[in-house]
Amino acid sequence: MDLKDLIPYTESLPAPPQILILLEQLFFLIHIVLINSILGLSLIIIYKRIRLLSISSLDLDIYRPFSKQIPILFALAINMAIPALLFLQVVFGHLFYTSSVLLGTYWILIIPLLIAGYYSSYIHYKKFESSQLAKFTIFAVVFIMLYISFILVNNLSLMENLIKWSRYFENRSGTILLWDEISIYPRYLHFIVASLAVGGLFYSLHYKFKKDLNQNLRNIKIKEGLKIFTYSTMVQVIVGVLFLLSLPQKVMLNFMGADILATLIFILGVIFAVVSIVAGLKGKLGLTVIFLSITLIAMVINRYHLRVFQLGEHFSLSQLNIVPQWDIFAIFLIILIFGIAVILYMLKIAFAKGDRG
Amino acid sequence: MNYPVWELYYLNSGTLIAIIAVLHVFVSHFAVGGGIFLWLTDLKSVRENNQELRFYVRKHIWFFLLLTMVFGGVTGVGIWFIIALSSPWATSILIHTFVFAWAIEWVFFIVEIISLLIYHYKFDTLSNKIRLRVAFIYALSAWLSLFVINGIITFMLTPEQWLQTYNFWDGFFNPTNLPSLVFRTGICIMFAGLFGFITAVFMPQSDFRTKLLKYCAKWLYMPLPFILISGFWYFYSIPENARITNFWLNRQTSNAVNAFLISSVLLYLLTILFIIKTSRRFQQVTVFILLLIGLLWIGGFEYMREYVRKPYVIYGYMYSPSVLVKDEEFLNKEGFLKHSKWSKIKEVTEENKIEAGRELFNLQCLSCHSIRGVKNDIIEKTKGFTYLGVLVQLHGQGKVRDYMPRFIGTEKEMEALAAFIVKELNGKEPSFPLIDEKITKLKTEIPEFKPSYEYILLAWNTLGMKCASDADKWFSFLSLGNNLEALLIKRGKKPEIITDVEISYYVEKGFENPSKHTDFWNYVKFTFGKEVSKDKGLTGKGLKGNFELDKERGIFKAEGLPVLPYKDDGVYNPYPIFDVTAKDKSTGKILQKTKVVAPVSTEMRCWMCHGGGWRWNNISGISDETAINILKVHDRKHGTRLYESAIKGNPKLCQSCHEDVIVKSKGIKGHNSFSVSMHGLHANYIPFKDERACALCHPDHPKGNTRCNRDIHAKVGLNCTHCHGKLDEHAVSLLLGQENSRTAKILIKNLTPETPVTQINPRKPWINEPDCLNCHRGFQKPENNKRAFNFWVENSNALFRMRFDNTGKIPCGACHSSPHAIYPAFNEFDKNRDNIQPLQYQGTPLPLGADMKCEVCHTVKMDRQSFHHSNMFRAFRNKQLLK
Repeated sequence: MDLKDLIPYTESLPAPPQILILLEQLFFLIHIVLINSILGLSLIIIYKRIRLLSISSLDLDIYRPFSKQIPILFALAINMAIPALLFLQVVFGHLFYTSSVLLGTYWILIIPLLIAGYYSSYIHYKKFESSQLAKFTIFAVVFIMLYISFILVNNLSLMENLIKWSRYFENRSGTILLWDEISIYPRYLHFIVASLAVGGLFYSLHYKFKKDLNQNLRNIKIKEGLKIFTYSTMVQVIVGVLFLLSLPQKVMLNFMGADILATLIFILGVIFAVVSIVAGLKGKLGLTVIFLSITLIAMVINRYHLRVFQLGEHFSLSQLNIVPQWDIFAIFLIILIFGIAVILYMLKIAFAKGDRG
Repeated sequence: MNYPVWELYYLNSGTLIAIIAVLHVFVSHFAVGGGIFLWLTDLKSVRENNQELRFYVRKHIWFFLLLTMVFGGVTGVGIWFIIALSSPWATSILIHTFVFAWAIEWVFFIVEIISLLIYHYKFDTLSNKIRLRVAFIYALSAWLSLFVINGIITFMLTPEQWLQTYNFWDGFFNPTNLPSLVFRTGICIMFAGLFGFITAVFMPQSDFRTKLLKYCAKWLYMPLPFILISGFWYFYSIPENARITNFWLNRQTSNAVNAFLISSVLLYLLTILFIIKTSRRFQQVTVFILLLIGLLWIGGFEYMREYVRKPYVIYGYMYSPSVLVKDEEFLNKEGFLKHSKWSKIKEVTEENKIEAGRELFNLQCLSCHSIRGVKNDIIEKTKGFTYLGVLVQLHGQGKVRDYMPRFIGTEKEMEALAAFIVKELNGKEPSFPLIDEKITKLKTEIPEFKPSYEYILLAWNTLGMKCASDADKWFSFLSLGNNLEALLIKRGKKPEIITDVEISYYVEKGFENPSKHTDFWNYVKFTFGKEVSKDKGLTGKGLKGNFELDKERGIFKAEGLPVLPYKDDGVYNPYPIFDVTAKDKSTGKILQKTKVVAPVSTEMRCWMCHGGGWRWNNISGISDETAINILKVHDRKHGTRLYESAIKGNPKLCQSCHEDVIVKSKGIKGHNSFSVSMHGLHANYIPFKDERACALCHPDHPKGNTRCNRDIHAKVGLNCTHCHGKLDEHAVSLLLGQENSRTAKILIKNLTPETPVTQINPRKPWINEPDCLNCHRGFQKPENNKRAFNFWVENSNALFRMRFDNTGKIPCGACHSSPHAIYPAFNEFDKNRDNIQPLQYQGTPLPLGADMKCEVCHTVKMDRQSFHHSNMFRAFRNKQLLK
């Protein structure tokens, strides 16, 4: 069976693919930062709970705000996944639906597990003081996040590696996972380490803006967060290199000179990662955030390049047929701008000084 | 066929869609209605300065957030996940058409989320004005998200203009969009009240709580008129054929309708328990029952909405198994598997047949059926059929009951799917049974006749073959009861018909006790509604007795003789002989004796498709298994309870619903007559339309146990279809002749007979039969290649068996015998069997007096043209066939 013959037909695109890909990557970036924050914060809280086992719960109280934030982050993260998944499906749907079916049983389990995880985060918030239930629920959140991300890594790797599709003919029950695909391990680890790094920065930012805590304590916490960030990012650089090396040679070489743009962006990402480590070590929270943001933008583009390189001859933007729906696209943009305006307005009136107190 | 299939044989991915979607819709309509409820209730609390109400709102928001944001939100994503796994191609079409609509909906989602989070977390700190503004923003964006998704869902049912233009706006603003939007908005308001109860019942007992419950009840009752009106509007905006197919032809939809109607009543009745004074504890328990009823209610509605779209996933564009309507013709020609990207097999061979069948099952059936699973278990549906039966089902699928798509693919692929279903799933052999019945040769004694004898006694069976449906324990549509007619002629130059005489009959030995071989007498009071003594017919006549004189027609008749082809020694003989004797009434002297065959058969090969086998001695009759399979499929398709009734000992006469002149039943108005139903339905299913089709049900298979088509016409090469038309022609003529039919149009629409439908003359069964004189114009030899089909006698008096010669005294049957057994007949059981009287009286098997043997009755040779009918006075035309 020729691999090419397995690739499903595509429908016409309602807009140029570049716009759709840009939107996908933008919202994916926001989504993944939120997810990283949830997982990172949860891991930090678990660590704190274990470490503070013998100490009074009063010390744990300083972390209570995170338990309130995690469910809110969930709401936003899930919401941001929608446009990411939506625009992914428009351009790469024919590949993504295929890979989804191949691991369909694991993929659909995400839904009940996500509900369980999301509710667990609320229970963790409401029952923060209780050590047993709170520990259980935060562990549940972590486990579920680890599951979902593992499945997503498998799904996207399967989507990008058509050669694996023939496994369908041995297993049609939707339980295909790429245990033997070496690159999924560093890819997965890359995500977990990123969560610690982003979680650490979120941690620092939280204390930076927590005006009702004493300055000393705040500084200690900010430093602590930056420490988590810098050490994680150091490990991340190694993981990233391992990830690169685990890729098929042809793909790897694209990032190492064969494709100029990909190489430039890749190097840019690494440089700014290193620069963010330096800024973190120097305790410069603001700069660290800026440098990390640039790193993340570069990484998201790297991720897209990886996809294109792995798909190789099986996919090209020029293959796609476009029948633009400019009118409805324009309406979407207008509504989006209006929606953002409404959100900003609501945030303004909700957090305005001098409101009824 | 574009994507790999997720092989969920037990659960069926469609069931997962239903579970996730119904749960989501239940909560999401609350998300919209509850938002409006929170805004307006909060507003009310501000206007009335009601702190208790404000407190309730506060509590309700938390419940609202936990339910709608977590469960409601994620199940919404869940629908998206599951539809892409279940029907990726259909999902892809929707995504590529409506991505920006969904993107717009997402903007409303994010506004909802932010506003709800602010409303909840900042409830106590915001001023009334700001807080209410945030609540309003939530309510508005929630309703707007409903507005968007409603357009996409309704598109799937009524894409209408989009099918021509592929334009976004044509698809979005489709015929059911507005009625559905109004209907669903009504549901949202209703659910606001329903879910409002949940937090209200847990408030501490007080006057306020009582008022609050009444307030929530108002939200439930208020939208009722809008829901009713928009519900009907929605229903009538759906295309008529979709409604007919899915609310009437599809029996399963009634389950959803019943669930919906019953829960509607229960919901509104139980709500009263929250308005009147009942205990708080009781209400706290009942509210969850109310919630379950609400879930059943919305589930019933959503199931109806999904059912009405069948057989499509996008109406008129893509079938449920994700096959484009426009590809159907080309796939039928080229092959379905060849163009299925993820099928391992592209071409069916003998070796890969079962595997190919599995691929076809996955690609065309799994979207709606499961295997030993929770939904439409294909084994349950097919276990009552043979390989031929499954093939026949696949062939007719989607033609009459078009809530299923037609099978798409080549003949070989159809066979592969049938083989998979029959062998792999049902464990039976996927082959046609060989029909090669051994018939028992008979010997017929021809009674004596000498030229000196004074009388000719003629006797004949009105029908060439009397069929009996031997399944009386389960159903009946043809009882036993042969009709014999007789005539006594006094020979002479001018022969005389003698009526003042006693003519008696008795059946040959071994046939006197048919009650030993059949259940007919055990159930006749249910099937025919009268008590009948054992071994007597419905007319009260037995297998020994006297003929009665029919004064009007001037002939003798003995009707309803309950003879069966089952001999006591276990031999199947569909041609039992009756001895007929004419006696002088006063002296008792025997005037003449003869013998006549009373042909009767129970060879109905229903089991060829319906499984089971023969009932009697492995030779003939309808077995219990066959009969049960038939009743069960009828019950399933038509919502009847025939099987249950038969099990209780009360089998039905088919014609109690389906009118039929032959059993003198009026049936039920609106139902097709029995012949119309049988032929009309089966003509759509049975793939071959020639005489092979007839032999499946009628006892004329050339290697069968009866072989009833046995006369001179058969010998010259005519089969059933030459006179009665091929199966589809036959069906069309009946369907066109059926008055007050609700289904004739549906049954005709997929029939493409050789004779175009517009040229077929309507006929009524048993009455408008082929007219012999249409071929034998002026009693002459017919033209070559002449067909009798489509030229019917006008009324029953013009039927061959009712007609007389020009004297008006001698029925055609007296000299020519019965239709299908016209002299000379060529009975394979015994060549003399059907020619007894001509052999007796003239020594040849030809019609009485044929070959210019007028002296049979006239005692002398005649020298002129006959008055009986024209062209009689000549040599018999086909004598060479006698050799």
